[in-house]
Amino acid sequence: MAADTAAPATVFGGVMTDQRRSLVLWSLALAAIATMYIGIYPVMGVEDMSAMVDDLPDAMVNAFGYDEIGTPAGYITSTVYGLLGPILLSVFAIATGTRLVAGQEEDGTLELELTAPVGRARVLLERLAALWLNVTLLVGVVTVVTVVLVILLDLDVAIGNVLAGSAGLLLLVVGFGTVGLAVGAVTGRRAIGLGVAAGFAVVAFMLDAIGPTVEAEWMTAISPFSWFLEGRPLFTGVDWADLALLAAVPVVATIVAVVGFTRRDLLT
Amino acid sequence: MNDVVIRTEGLVKDYGAVRALAGLDLEVDRGEIFGFLGPNGAGKSTTIRVLLDLLRPTAGRAEVLGSTPAAGGPALRARLGYLPGELAMSGRRTAGQLLRYLARLRGGAGSDGIGPLAERFGLDLDRPIRGLSKGNKQKVGVVQAFMHRPELLILDEPTSGLDPLLQREFLDLVTEARDAGATVFMSSHVLSEIEDVAGRVAIIRDGVVVDTDDVRTLRQRAGQLIELRFADRIDPGTFAGLPGLEDVTIDGSTLRCLLRGEPDALLKAAASHHVVAWSAQDRELEDLFLDFYRAPVDDRRAREVTH
Repeated sequence: MAADTAAPATVFGGVMTDQRRSLVLWSLALAAIATMYIGIYPVMGVEDMSAMVDDLPDAMVNAFGYDEIGTPAGYITSTVYGLLGPILLSVFAIATGTRLVAGQEEDGTLELELTAPVGRARVLLERLAALWLNVTLLVGVVTVVTVVLVILLDLDVAIGNVLAGSAGLLLLVVGFGTVGLAVGAVTGRRAIGLGVAAGFAVVAFMLDAIGPTVEAEWMTAISPFSWFLEGRPLFTGVDWADLALLAAVPVVATIVAVVGFTRRDLLT
Repeated sequence: MNDVVIRTEGLVKDYGAVRALAGLDLEVDRGEIFGFLGPNGAGKSTTIRVLLDLLRPTAGRAEVLGSTPAAGGPALRARLGYLPGELAMSGRRTAGQLLRYLARLRGGAGSDGIGPLAERFGLDLDRPIRGLSKGNKQKVGVVQAFMHRPELLILDEPTSGLDPLLQREFLDLVTEARDAGATVFMSSHVLSEIEDVAGRVAIIRDGVVVDTDDVRTLRQRAGQLIELRFADRIDPGTFAGLPGLEDVTIDGSTLRCLLRGEPDALLKAAASHHVVAWSAQDRELEDLFLDFYRAPVDDRRAREVTH
């Protein structure tokens, strides 16, 4: 009778099939935005940008990390890796993560899967794995575009540092997406998952932005956003301790999700 | 061999402060078609969702094919076919893609059943799911429930959404599954939809089973509405106190009554008069159904206690 259950990755494959279209559209959008921002760097004079930054309030300069915007690594950090990348990818990860479990539970489309001969934990973990692969592919798109432009435009950024930034970005966004999926899986309500994960992301960003300005070190110490950018990966490369902290977020969220999802009533 | 395939004992399910099931007792035997009847909100879907391990009981016990739904897990669900009451499907996948996916979730079991069943119900497998009408979605539901020839079919309001012709086809399918050895547990809020195929029926009300009986017994208890028209005015005394007759009314030359049991005594009494017209109409089982709902629960419980 063992043959009557699903082969490994069946649920995963089903989700990936459903995600193809959205994945292609997001890839195109991210590639276009990354190309646009990094592509105009050589055209913008360093003096122009420094002058522009000088006109901004100090708090804002710090908040957005514009103090080093005159260097290629600083510019890429301030635009693609530190701002648009995390924001757009977090929107994708949180929207997708909350939909893949809580959303599909609420609209009933998960019912046939949950009553099939597949364990609850497995349904959850394969859906989570699909989310992670989705985010990985999109971060991959951003990384490839960045590396290609760095080479083509001969920008002074080490490829290894770009990859270090991508690793941090990936773990940060996977963390937000997993929190969204987990809160949805535990509560069964997509709206709660969206709210908690988006709130978590915004607070992480705010703590990282405000912390240095008000000289409150604890703020950057507890902000995943600071774990991602404080070590300045595009300048200095990998900081393993920061990556480990970032990785802890999705790991903890996964455990919470499995425990909550396997114990509660579904489809109520 | 365990001959009881579904057993619940004192099953209780609370949703917060709301008690959906209040001590539900059920026993479904292997090889029967068992009707589970009650109005919307009586607890039918809640019971079924406990059997499928979507909901966990607050108290009491449920057993399906010899194990609790939670302990049975995927291995138990491999032996079940389930048709949800409100089947939600969406997405760009076609009906065929979805059904093949569901077969893959069963390790491929049932993939060869998709084609024949789709053809039988006139389901176009190449149409995208999200464009399907309610009836066509219900066909997808029927196909996925039956395709792997499960040992036990749990069908929640299976005939809803199907037109009368397909309802007939569906009931044939249910009977064939039973003849092939399967057990069928199907809920409905309309007794006439399942009385042709069901052997036994449980009636649920406010989260408890108030009656379990053969459909035939229920039918007899429901009785027939008899109308006899005579050539002349008749003496009410002639029909007073005949066995099996209730609610006798005589209006000039017309007699109306409710007959439960054999019509023999009534016919013999009528034979001494000139009968010009007669009709005997099966009372809708819904009427009997309503009898149960009209009786307050406390009454019935009190009666059960005094038994």
